[in-house]
Amino acid sequence: MKSYSFLFWAYNVVWIGIAAYVAFLFLRLRSLDGRLDRLERRIERGAGEGQSSSRS
Amino acid sequence: MRRLKDPMLLVLFASVAVLMPAANYMVFLYAPDEKVMGAAQRIFYFHVPCAVVAFLSTFVMLAGSIGYLWTRRRVFDNLSRSGTELALLFCSLVLVTGPIWAKPAWGVWWTWEARLTTTLLLGLLLAGCLMVRRYAESPEQGARLAAVLGIVAALDVPIIYKAVDWWRGQHPVVFGPGKKDPLAPEMRQTFLFSLLVFALLYGLLLALRMRVADHEDRVRDLGESMAGRGGAAA
Repeated sequence: MKSYSFLFWAYNVVWIGIAAYVAFLFLRLRSLDGRLDRLERRIERGAGEGQSSSRS
Repeated sequence: MRRLKDPMLLVLFASVAVLMPAANYMVFLYAPDEKVMGAAQRIFYFHVPCAVVAFLSTFVMLAGSIGYLWTRRRVFDNLSRSGTELALLFCSLVLVTGPIWAKPAWGVWWTWEARLTTTLLLGLLLAGCLMVRRYAESPEQGARLAAVLGIVAALDVPIIYKAVDWWRGQHPVVFGPGKKDPLAPEMRQTFLFSLLVFALLYGLLLALRMRVADHEDRVRDLGESMAGRGGAAA
C-alpha cells in the first residue's frame, strides 16, 4: 500500500508540473495577444490619421 | 485565442489528448507489477521518458545556441530559449520523481551518487541559462551569454549518460549497449508507448513555447518601430 502512495505522488508531481507550465504558456500568450492587438490598432489609427492630415 | 489555429499544433494536441489516456491505462492497468518494488516501479514509466525528453530538449537548446552564435538570427535564439525552458521543466520533474522512486527502492530520498549529482548539475546550469538572460544588460548580450552557457550545459548530458559506467553508481541501468533487456514484454511495450507520448507532448510544448517567443518578438518589434516613429516625429 505504501508503494502506491509513492506512485501517487510521483504521478501527481509530473502532471501538476506540466499543467502549471501549460497554464503559464497560455496566460503569457493571451497577454501577448492583447498587447499585439493594442499595438496594431494604435499603428492603424496612426496611419489613418497620417492619411487624413496629408489629404487636408 | 485567434492566433492558435495552427494545423501542426492542433494535430499534436489531438494526438496527445488521445494517446495520453491510453499511456496511463498501460502504466496503471496493462503493465504487471514488478516483483521486488511493487507499484513504485511504475514511476519508471514517466521518470525515464521525462529524462529522455529533458536530454532531447537540451540538444534542441544546443542546436539553437550554436545556430545563434553562428548566424545571430533571432529564430535560433528563440529555439535555444524554448529548449532551455523545457529542458529545465523536464529535468526538474526527473529530479523530483527520482527521489520519490529512490525512497522505497534504496531507503533514502537522495544520495550524492554520480548520475544524480550530474543531473542536478544540469538543472542548475539550465537555470543559469535563464538567469543570465534576465540579468544581462541587453537582450542580445543575454542571448549570447545564454548560448555559451547552453553549450556548456549540453556537455553534461553525455556525462550523465556514462556516469554509472565511469563511477559505478547505484543508479539502475535498464537499457544500454551490451545489456540484456530485463523487462517483460508488457513492461517494454508500456515504456516505449509512454516514451512516444512524452515525445509528442514535448513537440506540442515546444511548438507552443516557440509561438510565445514569436509573439514576444513581434511585440518588441512593433514597440521599437512605434518608439522610432515617435522619435522621428519629435
